[in-house]
Amino acid sequence: MTAATMTDSPAIFTPRSEYKLSGIGLLRSEWTKFWSLRSSWIVLLCAAVFAAGIGLAVAATYSNVGDQGSIPADLRAEAALGTTMFGVALSSMFVAVLGVLAITGEYSTGSIRSTMSAAPKRLSVLWAKAAVFGAVVIVMYTAMVFVTFFAANALLSGTDLAGVSLGDENVVRALFGYVAMVAYLGLLGLGIGAILRNSAGSIGFYVGVIMILPNLATLLPWNWVSDVVPYTPGNVVNSIAYIDTSGLDLSYGESWLWMGIWLLVTYGLAAFMLKRRDV
Amino acid sequence: MIEIEHLTKRYGKKTAVNDLTFTVKPGAVTGFLGPNGAGKSTTMRTIMGLDAPTAGIARVNGKHYSDFRAPLTEVGALLEAKSVHSGRSAYKHLLALAHTHGIPKRRVREVLDTVGLTEVAGKRVGGFSLGMGQRLGIAVALLGDPAVLILDEPVNGLDPDGVRWIRELLKGLAAEGRTVFLSSHLMSELAQTAEHLIVIGQGKLLADTTVDAFVNSRGASVRVVSPESAKLAETLQGPGITVTSPESGVLLIEGTEAAVVGEAAAAHGVVLHELRAEHASLEDVFMEITAGTVEYHQSQEGVAAK
Repeated sequence: MTAATMTDSPAIFTPRSEYKLSGIGLLRSEWTKFWSLRSSWIVLLCAAVFAAGIGLAVAATYSNVGDQGSIPADLRAEAALGTTMFGVALSSMFVAVLGVLAITGEYSTGSIRSTMSAAPKRLSVLWAKAAVFGAVVIVMYTAMVFVTFFAANALLSGTDLAGVSLGDENVVRALFGYVAMVAYLGLLGLGIGAILRNSAGSIGFYVGVIMILPNLATLLPWNWVSDVVPYTPGNVVNSIAYIDTSGLDLSYGESWLWMGIWLLVTYGLAAFMLKRRDV
Repeated sequence: MIEIEHLTKRYGKKTAVNDLTFTVKPGAVTGFLGPNGAGKSTTMRTIMGLDAPTAGIARVNGKHYSDFRAPLTEVGALLEAKSVHSGRSAYKHLLALAHTHGIPKRRVREVLDTVGLTEVAGKRVGGFSLGMGQRLGIAVALLGDPAVLILDEPVNGLDPDGVRWIRELLKGLAAEGRTVFLSSHLMSELAQTAEHLIVIGQGKLLADTTVDAFVNSRGASVRVVSPESAKLAETLQGPGITVTSPESGVLLIEGTEAAVVGEAAAAHGVVLHELRAEHASLEDVFMEITAGTVEYHQSQEGVAAK
């Protein structure tokens, strides 16, 4: 270039300094993205209806009067929660699918390019997305689990499962266990979606490999398989929703430990892939 | 300022960009021209940090794009028309991006207004036409009031009114001292918008020049219609001058100017019915220059196949 064209150029534009990329900003962004999709509302509504609906329907039709007080308090609480929270556990499927779609939807529509242009370091997007999604699930399920618990309790009065109270040993722990179970499975879905980037593939992987395969594998004639199955990502959550974990494969603490391990593995891999691969 | 240095990008065995080096300067609109598959979009994605280069560097204002603390204020990009979730409204899409940088809602409404989407801002993007999607993409690019704009085929799907609008918009942005870099397959469009031109083919740099120089590089020719064309052709013979006759009575003269031809005709008393300087259109030059790379590429493949 000659000196003449340099002097001809106008002054170089300086960008504004008041706008900054921030962690809080990314959280607000993901919050806005989550609630601005119709699918989020629909799937959460389905999950709520399913979770509370099944629990309440079972509670309403349970009519075993039995001999009140014949079941020891802890067993009664276990049976009552197992019955009324059955729908909560099942509804985790909706939440996991929503977790998958929260990230794969960005890839399938191309909005990931906008997202990653705004936050080109990429990883903070994954953390913000997981944090917002996890928080939404935890808040919603905490409310739902407790509402279902009290409503079901009222419906169970007069049966042999009546009278379970929050003050009973480990009842609150088990209720939060259900919340944690759903949040864990939802975050697992989001992590799988971040790795596979494809909605159908991720949902297929979650249902087939995480949920069904390990339990089918127990049919295999080798003993080591049934030793391993309790430690697979879909099964490690089982103990946290029980009041008495003494007869289970994993203790309460082990259950949490393995949930942490699997989330670390999933999100470690997701982060590694997100950094390495082209968007 | 965008600096591309020895940029190479391979997808598996396919080389999309091959040792590309060029600079895009602020204060002017720079066109990025090349046939489909030439590597324009790949180059732009690499600048934005979406694709990692196999080799080489892409820098914006001296930094890698991901090193900026406020990336949206440095570079605004329209990469592909559909970089939006189809289930989200235009407003919410912009708002979600604005939140990342603490950009106020006022600015979101401002860019919606600039691109003329205010009335449909609440509608789901899935129902947008190509032109509306393009306008939304431009709104996204403008959101952070960036110093550098990178636009991949921005006039795609716009009506003539929209084309004129974006042309004026881009020129205005460049006049403010911003760097404006746009690709287009409409070469005539670039001729009207851009001052500078980067031409690539098969991932390689073919030209880095001004639009005027590019058009003139293939030489202007002079078209003459004369009943005495044979006589005129003789008088014009000289070094560097080629004279061809596409049909009887018509001469195409390359390597000289219309004035020279006119004077020669007058000096020899040759009657002229028509004397016209013909400039190659940008399309012509573009076709000529890229046809070479296609041939080159095919012979390369032939060699590799042995």
